[in-house]
Amino acid sequence: MYLTEEEKALSSEYLEKGFVIRTVADSDALNWMQKQFIKIISDSLGKPFKGPPIDILNFIHRDVPAEKLNAFRLSVIREINSLKNFRQMYFRVAKPFLETLVGNELSMQRRINLSIQLPNDDSSLLATHADTWSGDSPYEVVVWLPMVDCYSSKAMYLLPPLDYPELADNFVIQAGNSSEDLYQSIKNKVNWLAVKYGEVLIFDQSLPHGNRVNKESETRWSLNCRFKGVFTPYGDKKIGEFFEPITLRAASQKGMIYKLPKAS
Amino acid sequence: MSLVRGYIFSRPFMGERVPQHVQNIVIRDYCERNNLQYLLSATEYAMQNCHLVLKQVIGELSNIDGLVAYSLFQLPEQALERELIYKELIKQNKVLHFALESMKTVTRQEFEHIETLWQIRLTMEHCYEPNHE
Repeated sequence: MYLTEEEKALSSEYLEKGFVIRTVADSDALNWMQKQFIKIISDSLGKPFKGPPIDILNFIHRDVPAEKLNAFRLSVIREINSLKNFRQMYFRVAKPFLETLVGNELSMQRRINLSIQLPNDDSSLLATHADTWSGDSPYEVVVWLPMVDCYSSKAMYLLPPLDYPELADNFVIQAGNSSEDLYQSIKNKVNWLAVKYGEVLIFDQSLPHGNRVNKESETRWSLNCRFKGVFTPYGDKKIGEFFEPITLRAASQKGMIYKLPKAS
Repeated sequence: MSLVRGYIFSRPFMGERVPQHVQNIVIRDYCERNNLQYLLSATEYAMQNCHLVLKQVIGELSNIDGLVAYSLFQLPEQALERELIYKELIKQNKVLHFALESMKTVTRQEFEHIETLWQIRLTMEHCYEPNHE
């Protein structure tokens, strides 16, 4: 493989741990996104917020009760996805890592997702799952971007690659009754991924992951979006309806429309 | 208003594939038309012939009124497995809706009707189909 030492190190870490955490590649893009969040939240709640953006996000539970959280979350998702540059900025924070781990001809999920977890709220939990179990291609990675510092129960967990084969072999037994049973069967093996604002996590979505009740005193805000090679196999999430190419190269553009000369 | 859990597939069923968001749109529309309060859909695992999520959802129906599957052809292909599901739902007195077919089943008779549709569908796989090309 003609990879640089840096690329080899990143690739080995991803394969061994199932994830990598790095300082974002473009802090201007991250800060632009954070600024958009504050504006959207202020507009949505009809209230001008002052002070450091990270504090506004960390303590949003003072303004958004749990029963209004989902409607609030959906309205923020709608707004960020309607911003022309948001997806491009999102890509920029992880671009060099994606190019090493996935490739330089990429498809990106069309809609960026947002997770908001208020302290002690059990209404927006993500039970143990692997995206591939519900139709995602194993060629996809997730770029997970926190808007606040995520740590302890405010973070997400991931089962390490070495522990996956055992689960896969005993899946019916471990997942047979409920997703809680599944979590209980792996809880002593999972890694809790502490990611600070200013860092980006890229993880293997084919490994079981999820979150639990956020027992910290701050609200978690994290974005997630899937990327894959344009010409790698798609699962149930297809090109067009779920993914779209973002970095198609000249040779591919040419190759896709090439026709051999007429010989008869 | 009855409270129901959605149920969608992440793999093709009976030779058909429907995008997940489209399955949810059809379920949401069915719920609106039938005055049902719709809870976020559970998505069946992608593995062939797997109905673990369906079984989990049926095991967690105690606080809601039933289940809305996108299509009746998302039930297990094995008749015995379907029968176990019908029995469990009848025992719990819960309603099983099928959004695409706009049907609801709660009685033994209604489940038998579903079973007839299944048998026809399975038989059609062996029937002559004219080539329109």
